Amino acid sequence: MADPTASDGHGCYTEYGVSGYGVAAKLSRKELMNEDFVKNMAESMMVSIAQNCMELGARCIGHIKSHIRTEAGTIKADTIGASHGSYSNGHLTKPVKELFIAINSIVQGIPEEAVKAATLEGLHEVSEQRGLFVIKEKEHTYFDEFDFVASKKDYIKQLEEQLQQTDDEDTSNGNG
Amino acid sequence: MKITQIAGFLGCGKTTLLLKLSRKIAGEGERKIALVVNEIGEIPVDGKIFEESGMQVKDIGGGCICCEVASTFAKTIYRLYKDFNPDHVLVEPTGVAVPHQVKLAARMGSRDAKISIGPAIVLFDATRPAELLDMDMLGQLVTTQIKDADVIAISKVDAVDEAAVSESAQRVREYNAKADICNLSSFSGTGLDQLTDIILSWEA
Repeated sequence: MADPTASDGHGCYTEYGVSGYGVAAKLSRKELMNEDFVKNMAESMMVSIAQNCMELGARCIGHIKSHIRTEAGTIKADTIGASHGSYSNGHLTKPVKELFIAINSIVQGIPEEAVKAATLEGLHEVSEQRGLFVIKEKEHTYFDEFDFVASKKDYIKQLEEQLQQTDDEDTSNGNG
Repeated sequence: MKITQIAGFLGCGKTTLLLKLSRKIAGEGERKIALVVNEIGEIPVDGKIFEESGMQVKDIGGGCICCEVASTFAKTIYRLYKDFNPDHVLVEPTGVAVPHQVKLAARMGSRDAKISIGPAIVLFDATRPAELLDMDMLGQLVTTQIKDADVIAISKVDAVDEAAVSESAQRVREYNAKADICNLSSFSGTGLDQLTDIILSWEA
């Protein structure tokens, strides 16, 4: 039996060909987006990412999950594969022009780089189709200091600051 | 403090069940509940969903609690005991975790704490039995999870007909002759009372 404390940098899942990738982003649209629009967009994005993964050679979609935060509420959307459709829930109290989205893709049969490519393609393609702009994105984070009990003004500031860190890091790395 | 894990492959409905089950076990403030959520994608989407529900939640990211971050999990269990001392800790491992490894890691955290290990409840998705069991690499993982289960919940029974539910039950029984098998729909509520009773009455 393997030592559960042992870590060689690879999880038990790697031997089963499972890879995961996560990204957070801020999206914006000139026109207001109501609850139905955001749910529909999120569901399409989940299916698009799943399809992209399968086209890149994935054998099975573990899950593609997303969590969307806006000043008017939260929406969650996920899928376990394009053929299974996608599902969303949550509620927005009013239409919004901006949203923060986190996506987590876990897939079997392709490496992490391919999961990343499929996820980012789905994020950007569906955003573009629906008239949204990807203002900022940052991988492998989920607004770490995000505080759900903070005021709306405060949590938006928190999210902006964490996404801003990416810009600063990119600039310092010569990628800006 | 009793530690119960809700395991099962990705997409089988663990998160939805955990949300419903935690409220049922908490009752009308009768029991203190804490949740430990683990995801390998490094973005704890589920943890954020649980936080919104008002539960005491500990996110563990950056790897799987049955192997890569087992020691972090053990420390989390101990800190929960010292700082919050809940009656029940419900653990959602990653969908690729091996249940007996999670139990081992939980026991590491219980060396200096009064902790009992509850059942390993493993969900099996009735909407895709062949997809899960008949693939070479994935099939090995899913059957390992089934073999480790104390209780197997055939999930999403509201989304398939009775024949499909029976087929799933028969297939998992081939790998685990001892586990209790129950039907589960987190949406309709089927099986929630049964699982609650099992967790509350479970003695290791």
